[in-house]
Amino acid sequence: MNLIELSFILAIVVFMLGFIGILTRRNLIMTLISIELMLNAVNLVFVGASRLHQNVDGQIMVLFVITVAACEAAVGLAMVIALYRRYGTIENDFFRILRG
Amino acid sequence: MLENLTGRLLELLPFGFFHFFAMLITLCSLMTILSRNPVKSAIFLVINLFLLAGVYALLESHFVAAIQILVYAGAITVLFVFVIMLLNLKAEAGPRFNLNVLDMLMFLICGLGIVLVAARLATSGLPGVEAITDGSSQALKQLGGHTLVVASVLMTKYIWPFEIASFLILLAIIASVVIARKEEVKK
Repeated sequence: MNLIELSFILAIVVFMLGFIGILTRRNLIMTLISIELMLNAVNLVFVGASRLHQNVDGQIMVLFVITVAACEAAVGLAMVIALYRRYGTIENDFFRILRG
Repeated sequence: MLENLTGRLLELLPFGFFHFFAMLITLCSLMTILSRNPVKSAIFLVINLFLLAGVYALLESHFVAAIQILVYAGAITVLFVFVIMLLNLKAEAGPRFNLNVLDMLMFLICGLGIVLVAARLATSGLPGVEAITDGSSQALKQLGGHTLVVASVLMTKYIWPFEIASFLILLAIIASVVIARKEEVKK
């Protein structure tokens, strides 16, 4: 076992924890936080693969992932604020407008 | 004999640090998704991101580690904490434990996936991992270190994605201002 394999295992664990967080928590902010966890696990895989292949492209992908994550957090939190202002709650189960 | 021992210790040092970081990261991730209070979750997320930056540094991605601390732990988490404070959320009533069969099946598949992949990695290792030698790392050092190489590749090969990313950030700023704006009362 070297550092790269260990970091892949760590990434799997963190990703699954984030996924379980999305499934179990019933708060929109907690959903966004769990998405951040999952994105970080993906970043860890990118960095590990970059080290594995001795190629810096993976690290650059991490920079782009961080950019997109920042945009996603900003827009998502703006939506959370708008929803809270409109409905007074941000519970996941409350929003079922699109359900037929 | 003593030099041999020191060399061996220096070889094992990254592993020790890695196990330390990995343990704390797993713990903080668990606390992040288990805390009832969203503020506590956000604080544990900050700790988690700092520790992940440590792991990136161990994997010799120093620039990514710095950006992780600056952007993720610095900016994004402040945004989260700010919104949580703004909304003045109460702690949740508790996770929904009225799982139905579909949820149980999903958890089972997730757990099975974790176990299978971990077992595969633990028993046989990744194909091609053995091929790495320290020579290429030395070559990177001679080029001026990871950060210089990352910067030069980012500014040449990935210049268009870089520009598009800046445009994406601009769009996100406008979008978040428009979405979070207070609706005017129609008369």
